[in-house]
Amino acid sequence: MGKAKILVVDDELIMRESLAGWLERDGHQVDKAASGEEALKLLENTKYDILLLDIKMEGMSGLEVLKKVRVSDPEVAVVMITAYGSVSTAIEAMKNGAFDYLMKPFDPNELGLLIDKIIDRQERDRENLFLREEYRERTRFESMLGQSRLMQEVFRLIEDIATTDSTVLITGETGTGKGLAAKAIHSKSPRHAGPFVAVNCGAFPEHLLESELFGYEKGAFTDAKTSKKGRLELAHGGTLFLDEIGEISMRMQIDLLRVLEDRVFYRVGGTRPIEADFRVIAATNKDLSQAIRDRTFRQDLFYRLNVISIVMPPLRDRKEDIPILAEHFLRRFRQETNKDIDKISREAMDEMMLYEWPGNVRELENAIERAVVVAKGRTILPEHLPIFAPEHRTVPKGKSLREIEKAHILAVLEETNWNIKKSADTLEIDRSTLYSKIKRYGIHRPD
Amino acid sequence: MNTQSSHNIIVSPIEHIDMELLNQIVGGLMTVFDFPVQIIHLVDNLEFAFDRQRRQYHSTAILEVLDREASSSALKVLGVTKHDLFIPILTHVYGEAQLGGRASIISLYRLREGISYRDNPKEYYSRVVKEAIHEIGHTFNLRHCDDPRCIMHYCRSIKDVDRKSTHLCRYCRTLLEDEIKRLMGGK
Repeated sequence: MGKAKILVVDDELIMRESLAGWLERDGHQVDKAASGEEALKLLENTKYDILLLDIKMEGMSGLEVLKKVRVSDPEVAVVMITAYGSVSTAIEAMKNGAFDYLMKPFDPNELGLLIDKIIDRQERDRENLFLREEYRERTRFESMLGQSRLMQEVFRLIEDIATTDSTVLITGETGTGKGLAAKAIHSKSPRHAGPFVAVNCGAFPEHLLESELFGYEKGAFTDAKTSKKGRLELAHGGTLFLDEIGEISMRMQIDLLRVLEDRVFYRVGGTRPIEADFRVIAATNKDLSQAIRDRTFRQDLFYRLNVISIVMPPLRDRKEDIPILAEHFLRRFRQETNKDIDKISREAMDEMMLYEWPGNVRELENAIERAVVVAKGRTILPEHLPIFAPEHRTVPKGKSLREIEKAHILAVLEETNWNIKKSADTLEIDRSTLYSKIKRYGIHRPD
Repeated sequence: MNTQSSHNIIVSPIEHIDMELLNQIVGGLMTVFDFPVQIIHLVDNLEFAFDRQRRQYHSTAILEVLDREASSSALKVLGVTKHDLFIPILTHVYGEAQLGGRASIISLYRLREGISYRDNPKEYYSRVVKEAIHEIGHTFNLRHCDDPRCIMHYCRSIKDVDRKSTHLCRYCRTLLEDEIKRLMGGK
């Protein structure tokens, strides 16, 4: 069973400590809060899987905390802790979205079973989400693009290392193209004729990841009706790409270390050694040095993986690549949607150049996809971009009022498909004024 | 065998505990942890940890006293009591340990469930030894393990205790070796 990140909220020190200590022995990561207010503060900055919340507390009650949490983080499973005699409050909590409640003192088994049940459900939800994303990923960016100095360096490094058989660790923020870099290394390597097998380590619960990677023999566990090859075996002669390596448990780290050291592995429940004939490329958006200091990642495994290191630059550090990437995505989505959109307006491009792109190339790709879907005319305008929400809206720098007015009139005309009456209504001017502005600014309807 | 005498594990019987049982515990701990094990009385009675309302003994309070009373050279301490233990949020516990700390304790109170000590002392000893290794394992920073055969597996029932072995699985063995290396001044 997987491990959870749990927040224990109780105003009684002894209850808080004893529960946290018990859960830590089960391998869960536990934080503690002495009041509802403190809990809400922690929840602002940290994502928890489970919240164990005492109903009766000084100050903000458990029920009040529950109501706020349901709005701010609907995914966290809330378990209410109640004293004997306040079951009616617990039932009210269930109506307000609590997962379950426990009456203290509770049987240790009851607590363990409940936590397992929650983790199991959350793991299944995450697995479904992963399968949906994996399907999407297959149709995602098919090539790496970039003329910036930073990307040219990455390309050069990939060329240099592709011919070796060394293990590679690719780091970089989410959406920077770590998977693409791994595929590029594989396709340029002597192993290119072999398979490229990718595993998203963060998407599998621990017990599933083990059999997914190593495979299993018939009868290894209750559901193992037949033997099955794992991804390590499927990668024979090719490349094994371990994405989100920073998410794997200490147990899996020990197993992987053994494979990298001994170059052999065993199926779950198997005794026959299988040769590990594949190149390993790992990727993470985590700071593994910090994870080593926190003792959540093994230093020996880190050294085994980090033989060659590639750092994928964030998009905000290579903004000169934005136009080329945006045009590339526009061409692709135009083809996919069969829409007659042939350009990105100067203003939309300005918005994209000013934006910081925390989700990097993937966010840009999604933004263009959305713009192609919502655009009505032949040009993508700022308001078609999801980044052009009021909170992201940026005032174009170095532009005259005249230029801004011209761009705005053009945008409204495009939006209404050059319907003069509708445009005049939106702009709250009369039609003759609109005509004279169109003439004055030299605005032309595209052919 | 690790011969450094300053790195002993202490087994501390609280009130009278059968000597044969204590010897079984010592043997079990030595096999798994490879440190010398000594039997030393550290606490006479547990009145200080008795909760009148619950009529049980608060194990966390006992751990603090065991940790305080053990000599500074002791590596780990295991208290053994016949009394029923609890922590405030739970109805009862078979034992408790300071995770990555020094002190641990086991209760014999619920380990006789379903068996007669006189008819089947071996089965009873086996349960006690397993609980002792399990709790000392926590003091070496080992957490509960998913492998049902591993000694660090958390047992939901006494039947699960009977089913598990007295050994660490290979994962927990590696983690234990890491922790011992760290304690002995390695990395």
